[in-house]
Amino acid sequence: MKPAPFEYSRPSSVDEACALLAADDGARLIAGGQTLVPLMAMRLARPTRLVDIARIPELAFVRDEGGRIAIGATTRQYVAEHDPLVRSKLPLLARVLPYVGHGATRARGTVGGSIANGDAAAEIVLVAATLGATLTWREGGNDFEMPASEFFLGPMVTALPLPACLTSVRFPVWPERRVGTGFHEVNARQSDFAFVSAAAQIALDTDGRCTRAAIGIGAAAAIPLRLDAVAEAMLGMPFEEAKVRASAMAALADIEFMADLHASADYRRRVALTLAVRAIADAFQDAARRV
Amino acid sequence: MSAPSKFRFVSSDRRVREDRRFVVGKGRFAADIVPAGLKHVALVTCPHPAAQIVSIDKSAALAMPGVHYVLDGAELAQATNPLAAGLDTPNVPRRPLAVDVARYAGEWVAAVVADTRALAEDAAEAVAVDYDPLPFVLDGEAAYRGGVLVHEAHGTNVLLDRTFVWGEVDKDFAASPHTLRHQVKWGRSATVPIETFVVTAQWDPWREMLDIWASIQMPKYPDQAAMALKLPMSSVRVHYDVDVGGSYGVKRGIKHTVLVGYLARRLGMPVRLVEDRLENMRGGDMHGPERNFDVEVGFDDQGIIRSMRMRALDNVGAYAGRSPFQLGKPVGAIVGPYRIKSVQYQAIAVLTNKTVQEAVRAFGQSPTNYAIERTVDEVANRLGLDRLEVRRRNMIRREEFPYLIPSGSTYDSGDYHTVIDKVLAHAGYEDMLAERGRLRAQGMLAGIGIAACLEPSGGNSSFEPLLNPKVGTTTWMDSCRISVDLVGSITATMHTTSAGQGHETLVGTVVGEVLEVDPEAVRVVRADSLNSLPSNSPVGSRMAIMLGGAAFHAAQKIKDKLIAIAAHDLGVPAERLTYKDGGVFDPSAPDKKRTWTELVTVAHRYIHRLPPGMEPGLSVSHIMPVPGGGGLPTADGRVQMYPCYSFEFHLMLVAIDPDLGKPEIRRYVIGHDCGTVINPKIVRGMTMGGIAHGIGAALYEEFAYSQDGLLMAQNFMDYLLPSAHEVPPVEIVHHETPSPLTVFGQKGSGESGYLGAPAAVASAVNDALRPLGIVVNSLPMKVTRLGDAIAAAREGKAAT
Repeated sequence: MKPAPFEYSRPSSVDEACALLAADDGARLIAGGQTLVPLMAMRLARPTRLVDIARIPELAFVRDEGGRIAIGATTRQYVAEHDPLVRSKLPLLARVLPYVGHGATRARGTVGGSIANGDAAAEIVLVAATLGATLTWREGGNDFEMPASEFFLGPMVTALPLPACLTSVRFPVWPERRVGTGFHEVNARQSDFAFVSAAAQIALDTDGRCTRAAIGIGAAAAIPLRLDAVAEAMLGMPFEEAKVRASAMAALADIEFMADLHASADYRRRVALTLAVRAIADAFQDAARRV
Repeated sequence: MSAPSKFRFVSSDRRVREDRRFVVGKGRFAADIVPAGLKHVALVTCPHPAAQIVSIDKSAALAMPGVHYVLDGAELAQATNPLAAGLDTPNVPRRPLAVDVARYAGEWVAAVVADTRALAEDAAEAVAVDYDPLPFVLDGEAAYRGGVLVHEAHGTNVLLDRTFVWGEVDKDFAASPHTLRHQVKWGRSATVPIETFVVTAQWDPWREMLDIWASIQMPKYPDQAAMALKLPMSSVRVHYDVDVGGSYGVKRGIKHTVLVGYLARRLGMPVRLVEDRLENMRGGDMHGPERNFDVEVGFDDQGIIRSMRMRALDNVGAYAGRSPFQLGKPVGAIVGPYRIKSVQYQAIAVLTNKTVQEAVRAFGQSPTNYAIERTVDEVANRLGLDRLEVRRRNMIRREEFPYLIPSGSTYDSGDYHTVIDKVLAHAGYEDMLAERGRLRAQGMLAGIGIAACLEPSGGNSSFEPLLNPKVGTTTWMDSCRISVDLVGSITATMHTTSAGQGHETLVGTVVGEVLEVDPEAVRVVRADSLNSLPSNSPVGSRMAIMLGGAAFHAAQKIKDKLIAIAAHDLGVPAERLTYKDGGVFDPSAPDKKRTWTELVTVAHRYIHRLPPGMEPGLSVSHIMPVPGGGGLPTADGRVQMYPCYSFEFHLMLVAIDPDLGKPEIRRYVIGHDCGTVINPKIVRGMTMGGIAHGIGAALYEEFAYSQDGLLMAQNFMDYLLPSAHEVPPVEIVHHETPSPLTVFGQKGSGESGYLGAPAAVASAVNDALRPLGIVVNSLPMKVTRLGDAIAAAREGKAAT
């Protein structure tokens, strides 16, 4: 469990990092290393050069950009978890962050690293997809931006070009007063990768009717799924479990679920439905508590 | 426990002296031993479940800087003997590196030696092996039927297939108004140590000595290493003074040692192999039993079980190690704690193209306990009787001990009914039933798990002659040497390694008890193999009995010698003297006394004052046989397996979310009776760890294989060990039924908890599933398998 030989660079700016990436097709960025280092130890990843961006100051921040919160790519998950802006304005992200790995891995793992890794079972990826976050990166001296709906392409595959450096994740802030969230995941052991996860964020009017909803399913398929049809069906409605279940079932009907050592496709299909309903119910309840 | 103890130190809740160094990170493990100029080994492994090795091209690897050698199986086989096997299977040779044919994915094919482990891994990738894949077989039942042969020359995949009949089985079945037959499966799991296997070897050609530091828990390690390396045993010096970071059976490492020992001699350099996790899980030959049971019982209307037929087929993997004996040990407790009059037992060990099986905690007893307990539950369910009541009716009663079971072992002592009553009272059994009802009313599946079982302890090897008539080894000794030096300090020497069992605390406590001195003042050290008295190792829950017994008797010899010296020096008959707190005096004449210091001085310096003919100094040894000794089996396979039988009774509550299938343990209580407890903290630690391990085997851990023969669970992402989140608080209820066979009444506890936890979890899950009309009789009961089974039942499909 020793990695294959590699070079190591620690650039002091994003542009310098990009230049190092551009000069070597085998170069890879490293920030928290919580996924990459074990893969390298097993020689399943064999970068020729590691470009360590963890200490570039411009990449670690949490910023209120008015209408959205931007989180710098190398912001540690643990820092985001305890950030007051995240806690007050991004309730869904705040809700899922404690489920990301373990405390020890969150202390090193980064928000951007999780996004760039593009694992459909990752909680941060699920929230980015569910809320429609925007990903920004820098490449060749230029900045680019892309919505999450276009960014996640397949299992651990994203639209991020190889010589690019992800710079931030911008999560939309919901201005409504009554916003609630729900999150459920199933795994064999606490803190393992989920077999299936479901996230919901819902805004209610003063009568308890849904004015906006976002629902996502993680870990079940190649990429995180957004159940927009379910969200639309709830608009103007209070929580009605049977209706939610029916629309979620319809939305999941055509999805191709994954099967692996730990869970069958049938398990994922059934449990995705169960968890979607539970997450939505929780989100309604959570929102209803707010005045 | 609250009664005043007749002991001074034994049974008191004293600290475990080893804990300090481990807690502060100052253990000294095999990998901490770094001889100057040490070289490192990496392994080239076979990527196929079975393959002809067509050619091995070493040139690219040898050309790399820092690489010293690439060893292949042909060279090693030329220079060494095959590894010892337990059964008489000469056509199933086992060697550290495959010769011509590799028989499981991950089997070692070549070894690279380089300046660093990283360089060795780089070079291992550069060794070009040309393979010709061969047909393979993974399933034990398929291998038993024939077809693909794992070892052509053996002519069959069957290593062992023997049927024992003890008692009037057919008659008892015929007389039974009811019979029940079912299949239960125990999945392939193991004890997975934090420290993987490590061995360092250094050859000194001028002294002709091979020094070995290894992470071992293996009986017969120095002799097997010497025999395989074709060295006199006096040229192999194994250093037992290393800490071992977990084992419970699996730290055998004989193939690792033969490989590294050969390389160290061949190259004239110290060489080390530290398995990485992949090498450990895939090629470390440390998987445990994978066992299919077919159990049939005959019983009456009251649930009294009269007879049992059990067939156990174990998939032992690609080579014949010691593991088939794991089908033999359960013979010594084949009826569990029950009065079953007759038993038919068929034990089958088959070869497949999986990783080689090794000894795992309880040496095969835990799977068998699981099969028995699942059966008792089903008997109760069939009759509509309470599961506890059926157990009570079948259990051996206190007054029936010593109790001879049909397979020839005598249980020493026990008080099973009392332990159960104590557990029920502690747990508030009625409340647990009510809680189960509440959970069910809330829409959860909920079940109460019950398991009662034995921990045979004391560790004979009677299973060897039982299953291999060419072997006459029936038992093993253990030993202790005690020296009191010339200033009066006490040093006790033990002769094996320890893997966290607290043996230093054990020896200190026992010696302190006998000599009436502070146990903390007793130094405990480990010899190397050339300085050792004959000893076995911590297997078979034997060390409290055997090492504790040897230390007891050695300390008694010291005490007797001190009394003899005092008697001679005082001119008083020894019978008149009393030993107290290290001194000796005559109670009828209190001025007639000698202190510890005076006696030690006489023994070491004033030799003229010693009784005539007495050896000077104060050094004694005791080599202790297992109580009752070992005996050869009768022709029909009856034998006294282990001498002492600890008892455990598990009671637990499980809740399962029916939509997710995820079991959650809400309550866990165990009643534990291992006779006199020498150190309560150690016994508690063993029991807690054993239960965690058992929960793992029942719910999480499995060395699963893909259909193309590759091990899929080969790291901790896929081989799921239960964590602190999954293991609930465990309440331990103590009971002490002393053994009449041991010095303090102690029995073994090294495997406690694990003996019954898998059975208890299976009992609870199946109790939870009963309302759905389904039974899950296959371990591990993974979340998603339970979820799929529950969904199928709810949809009215066929039961699993």
